[in-house]
Order: sequence, then C-alpha cells, then structure tokens
Amino acid sequence: MKEQTSIPVSKVERSVKFVTTGAKVGVNYLKHYSRKLVNPDATKDQLNEDNASDIYIALSQLKGSALKIAQMLSMDKNILPKAYAEQFSQAQYSAPPLSGPLIIRTFTKYFGKAPEKIYDSFKLKSTHAASIGQVHQATLNGKKLAVKIQYPGVGDSINSDLKMVKPFAFRLLGMSEAELNVYIKEVEEKLLEETDYELEVKRSLFFSKACKHLDNIIFPKYYPELSSKRIITMDWIEGIHLREYLKTDPSQAERNRIGQALWDFYNFQQHELRQVHADPHPGNFLITPDRKLGIIDFGCIKELPDNFYYPFFAFVSNPLGDRKKTINYFKQLKMIFDDDSPEMVEFYYQNYSEMIGLFARPFVQGEFDFSKPGYFNELFVLGEKVSKMKEFKQARGVKHFIYVNRTNLGLYNILHDLGAKVRTDTFKPHLIKEDKEQ
Amino acid sequence: MNREKIKTAYIDYVLSNNEQPKSVYVFAKSLKLKEEEFYHYFNSFESIENGIWLDLIRQTADNVKSEEVYEGYSARERILSFFFTLIELMKAQRSFIIYSIKHSGKGFTTPGILEKAKEQFEGFALEVLSHGIENNEIVERKFISDRYKDALWLQFVFIVNFWINDISENFEKTDEAIEKGINVTLDLMSRGPIDNLLEYGKFLAQQGKNKIKFPFTA
Repeated sequence: MKEQTSIPVSKVERSVKFVTTGAKVGVNYLKHYSRKLVNPDATKDQLNEDNASDIYIALSQLKGSALKIAQMLSMDKNILPKAYAEQFSQAQYSAPPLSGPLIIRTFTKYFGKAPEKIYDSFKLKSTHAASIGQVHQATLNGKKLAVKIQYPGVGDSINSDLKMVKPFAFRLLGMSEAELNVYIKEVEEKLLEETDYELEVKRSLFFSKACKHLDNIIFPKYYPELSSKRIITMDWIEGIHLREYLKTDPSQAERNRIGQALWDFYNFQQHELRQVHADPHPGNFLITPDRKLGIIDFGCIKELPDNFYYPFFAFVSNPLGDRKKTINYFKQLKMIFDDDSPEMVEFYYQNYSEMIGLFARPFVQGEFDFSKPGYFNELFVLGEKVSKMKEFKQARGVKHFIYVNRTNLGLYNILHDLGAKVRTDTFKPHLIKEDKEQ
Repeated sequence: MNREKIKTAYIDYVLSNNEQPKSVYVFAKSLKLKEEEFYHYFNSFESIENGIWLDLIRQTADNVKSEEVYEGYSARERILSFFFTLIELMKAQRSFIIYSIKHSGKGFTTPGILEKAKEQFEGFALEVLSHGIENNEIVERKFISDRYKDALWLQFVFIVNFWINDISENFEKTDEAIEKGINVTLDLMSRGPIDNLLEYGKFLAQQGKNKIKFPFTA
C-alpha cells in the first residue's frame, strides 16, 4: 500500500473536501437524470452507487473520526440504500499508514525505547488500518503480538470533523440539524472515548474476563505494561474476516454456531453486564482456524442506565402488552412528550409500537432465522416509510437509542450476512417486578 | 576545565538571570578560570550559544545515523527521523532553547547564534538529499535543486518555533507539524505535475521552432 503523503490539515481543507463532495453528489444526480432520459429503465441503484463511492472517496481521505463516522453510517444498512452501505463498510480496510519514524517516535515517547528494543521483532510496515490507528505485527518471547498505534491528533480533529460531517450527514439522512445536538454530543463523547487507549485496555481486560465462560468466543490477551495512551499491545489472533470466511462456504451448522456465539456475546453484555461492545462492525471480528469467534476491539462501549434499560426492554419483551403501560414506557424514553395532543400520542404510540415491535421480533420468538431476507425487507420498508414522515423529522427518543440501535441492528446484519439461525432466549432481558406482573 | 563545563555554567547563568553575564572576565572568575582559558574554547558568549546549537544538531544527526533502521530508510524517512530525534533532544534543554531563540532578535536572516548549526544541518541535509536523488526519490531540477537544503532549513526554523509555542500534551502537535510539513516538502521535491508541465512546455517550445501551423483554433 502506498503510504499517505499528505493528510488534509486544516479545517478549511476539510471543508473543501466536503464541498467538492457535495458538488459531486449534485453531478451524480444530474448523471442519473440524463441517464434516465436515454434509458428510462435506469434505476436509482446506479445513482446511489455513484454517490456512495464519491462520498466514500472524500471520507476515506479524512481519516480519524470522519472515517469512523463513515463506518457508523455504514452500520445503518437498513436506513441507507444498499449502495451506500457497501462502500462505507470498506472504510475499515483502507486508511494509508503513518511514516516509520513517527511510529518509532511514538514508542520512544511512551516507553523511552524504540519498538525493536521492546519486542523481539517489530514490523515497521503496518499490516492494516484500524480506523483511528494502525496495527503492526510484533513478537515477544515466541509469541505473536498485534500492536495498535493511534494517529496523533485524532482527538483534536474529532470536534471539527463532526462539525463538517453534521450538515452532510443530515442531508444524507434527511433530518434537520438543530434538534439533534443531544445525539451528536453522545456520538462525540463515544468517539472521544475511543481515542483513550488506556481506557480501552482496561475495558478489554474487564470484558474478556467477564465473558470468558461464553462458548466459542476467543479474546486476545492484553498487555497493559506494553500499552499506553496511544499504543495497545495484545496477542495476535490468527483468523479471517467474516467476508472472507463466508467465501469459504461454511456449513449451516457452523454458521449457526458462530451466529449463536455472537448473539450470546451481545445479549450477555446487554442483560447481565448492562454495558455492551457497541461496534458490531464486521472488521472487529475474526473467525479463527478452529472456527471460533475472535473479538478484537473494545474501543466503543455503551452503558445502559436503568432508566433506559427497564422501560425499553420491558416493551421489547412484550410488544403487544397493555396500551397504557406502553405509553408510559414511551414517555420515560421521551418518544412521547407530556404535552403531546391525544392525536399525537395515538400517532406515536402506533408507529413506535410498530417500529420497536418489529425490532423486538427476534427477541420475542425464542429462535430466529436471520438468513431470511423477508424480515430485513420489512425493516427497510418501515425505515423508508418513517424517514418520509414529517412527524419524524422532529427529534424524539433519549440519546441512548443511537448506540443501542446501532448495536442491535448491527448484530442483526452480521447474523444476516452469516445466514445464521440462533436461539434468542439464551440471555433474557431482566424486568422489574411491576413490569413482570403485567 | 573543559568546554562542557563552560557550556553548562553559561546555561545555568542565563536561565537564572535571564541575561548574559556582564563580561567574560566576571564569568570566568566565577568559574575560577583564567580569562584566556575561556578564549581557548569560545571567543564570546554568542559563540557559546552557537556551540550549544551546533552540538545539538551534531548529536541529533549522530543519533539518527546510528539507528539500525537508518540504512534502510528513504530520504523522506531520514529527514522525518532527524526532526523527531531533534525535538526529543531539545526537550532536555527546553528552557535554554526558549531563552536563546527569544533573545536572538527578530529578523529575516538567520540569527547569529544559529550560524554554525545551520552549516552543520545543511551538511546533513545535503547528504540525505543526494541519497534521495540517487534513489530517484527526489528529482534534480536546474537551479531549483540547489535550494532544496534551504527549504529544509526553513522547516527547521518553523518546527523549532512551533515547538517553542506548543502547549499540547507531550508536544503531540509538533509531531503532527513535522509529519505533515516534511511530507509536503518532500512531495515538492519528488517528481510531480510541475515537472510534466515544464517538459510539456519545453516540447511545445521546440515544436514552435519548426513553425507548425494550426489548421484551426479551439
């Protein structure tokens, strides 16, 4: 891979990147309509694909948080047209590496020694990018290690990146900007957390211990003494990414086994630990040679506070329950406001019940076959419908929804890609007493 | 009494008093040193500062070249490595460097105290540049390539000033300034659109001599 020779420096330059993208999107629309003149059968798919690849190219030159945002958008396959999602999900794999001297500099700064003096061997060329950093291979005492190094200045650029991406992303999602600052703040907080590698090591140690007993899951060993604010050292996990794995045409039983491991991993965290690995991106998982699931990134963790967890999962586990109770949950989750008129209450009650009810279906059924496209089409159709309703232009729902939706929908998507059928009642939501009696 | 001791005592003096000693005589006396011994090593206070900067550059270059990876480095990486090492070494003498630069006076020419350091730096730069030219990493251009070393010196001045004003944790901003600045500088020295443009211009000029007539205009 060619090493990146220039990173867009100033905010001005970043803005220029987005302006050119905006212009290009316009051109793509033009192309689309002219193509339609010539060939009335041209579908919007081609248009979306053109847009996605231009947007992707602009974003991928930005690195850091912008790249992360591209990834986040890529998670919402259901809301975004398919073409966008496919381009964005490449984001994980294609950021160009930093110079060798800067890598050495980072090590001497934090450990007082060059990497070749810390490890028995250290490859100065990175093996791959990890969105806000890059990964190098090293060995120590006969063990193969993965060393993750963060790009300098990532934290600083997050703020200005978000400002740049904001109007752009909203146009893409068709929402207004002003009301969404609560959510943006939530995203910003999480992104900033991800730049703290010391925190990530702490979390990785915690989660790998807490989830140790789960079947068919493997965590790398972490080395806090060889980690710092900008560097993480962990065991190298041999394995292939999901997409490559699927090309090997694994048996249904094996797909189900890996899918089950994923489901258990996420729902154990959600319901037992009340904090969850909130980055279910295919790039964060490896399938090991003995066909287990390797989990390699704990940068993004979402905590589920009680005042969100109980009302949300009370509804999820019983979406057809009592109307009064449901409205009460929705009020707690700020999806219905106290000053809404009775018609509005009815409208939001109907629509949110439908939406979350659909979302809850795998939870309710005890066993769910994610390979069937029907369910995902329903999600997509509903997403399209909702995104066109003017009532939903208004921001509703507590901020926790962003990452909880991202996590669970991301999980559904991976399970769909896997084509897995899983038991969904292995870890059940906890309910408070009065909710159970309902 | 050796050179190092005079240097250390001088640094200590200026940092404690925020000015130069009154005279060489007084300074030498405080070190229990004959004035002529002082002149054996330095001929003025300014030449002490010159010496400190010179030693800094020399040591940086020595350290960089003694690294195992250096041989395998491209010109770009050699320069980057030089600057990263430089700011690491400067850290130990940050107070003095800030004093020295702030007292050197503003102007368009290189301050007197950096004269020797500049020579030394250019020596290193030329070495790396010729390595880059040999490897086709850097293009030789008439008149312009003689100025390459000046571009790198400008980066030196910029980076030192940036570092002096850098308040980020661990001087992380300076790391970025180096990585980005040197990459741009080296990009300009490598083959790019300008070269192609010049060549195209040359070609067209050549054709002009043969008086090609254009049958139509655009």
